[in-house]
Amino acid sequence: MSLPRSDYDPRRVCLNPFPDVNFGKHRRTIGIYLAGALFALANWTFLDAAILSAHAHSPYDEPQIPPPVHVAFVDWIPGFCSLFGMLIINLIDKDRIRGDEGFGDSNAVWRARLFLFIGFALMAGGLAGSISLLVLKYVIKDYPEEFTYYGYANVSQNVALMLSAVVLWIAQSAQSEFDYNLTL
Amino acid sequence: MAAGVKTVILLSFVLALGFLLIILSCALWANWLPLLVALTFVLAPLPNALFAHCGGDEFSSYENSGAIDLGRFITATIVITGFAFPIVLTHSEVITPTACAMSIVGGGLVYGTILAYSAAFKQDSSDFD
Repeated sequence: MSLPRSDYDPRRVCLNPFPDVNFGKHRRTIGIYLAGALFALANWTFLDAAILSAHAHSPYDEPQIPPPVHVAFVDWIPGFCSLFGMLIINLIDKDRIRGDEGFGDSNAVWRARLFLFIGFALMAGGLAGSISLLVLKYVIKDYPEEFTYYGYANVSQNVALMLSAVVLWIAQSAQSEFDYNLTL
Repeated sequence: MAAGVKTVILLSFVLALGFLLIILSCALWANWLPLLVALTFVLAPLPNALFAHCGGDEFSSYENSGAIDLGRFITATIVITGFAFPIVLTHSEVITPTACAMSIVGGGLVYGTILAYSAAFKQDSSDFD
């Protein structure tokens, strides 16, 4: 006969199937540092493209040809969406989502899940927006490689932001020793 | 206490070397933007120092405070910023690659000094942990 897994809880909204990597008691700290590093890397990747675009000049042998495309405000929008989604996801109390009936009303659980959904939708929308921007603004128009770099930087910004949010979530929901003893 | 004095002298020497590298990377090319790297790395330990006492002074070590997490997050962000800023400037040809390397090495020395100092002279106030 098949028993459900011991950590199975039908009220959980997110069961992360990641392997239980054990860094000891510093796991939470390492994860949070890693998330911060990913966050900074993401934003600097995009800022690199923006600064590069601001300093773009025409080729030295043909000074009358201006650079064909610049980073405009449209390029900033996917990053804003991802940032906003990450903010929303991290503002939610993790215990609310698990749906413990002990504290608060069940309405709060429903609202927390709704906002979590909005946050994840914003992040996914940012990623999808950056990919569509890459395709529509840069790849289709056949720009040379140094200009399609703007689009690729945008996509990697959003991917890294999403990774940062995931790492932060895993690090913060990692159970410490004392917590583990309590739930036993 | 002799070892302590030697450590202080060595660390201050390394710190001065780091600042020398950063200032040289600015002054040799008359472009003072890499000086922001020094400011970034000096500011890097500040969030941890600010938020370290926000949680855990009660007997609540099982619940890691969000403020400490925020401090660590901001610290990692600032450190990566310090390394990424010269690279970005070099990529858009604002500073030369040599200045980039010098400011990165100098910034690493400054931050390493701060880390080593706080690790070497950590006050053992946690007797009952």
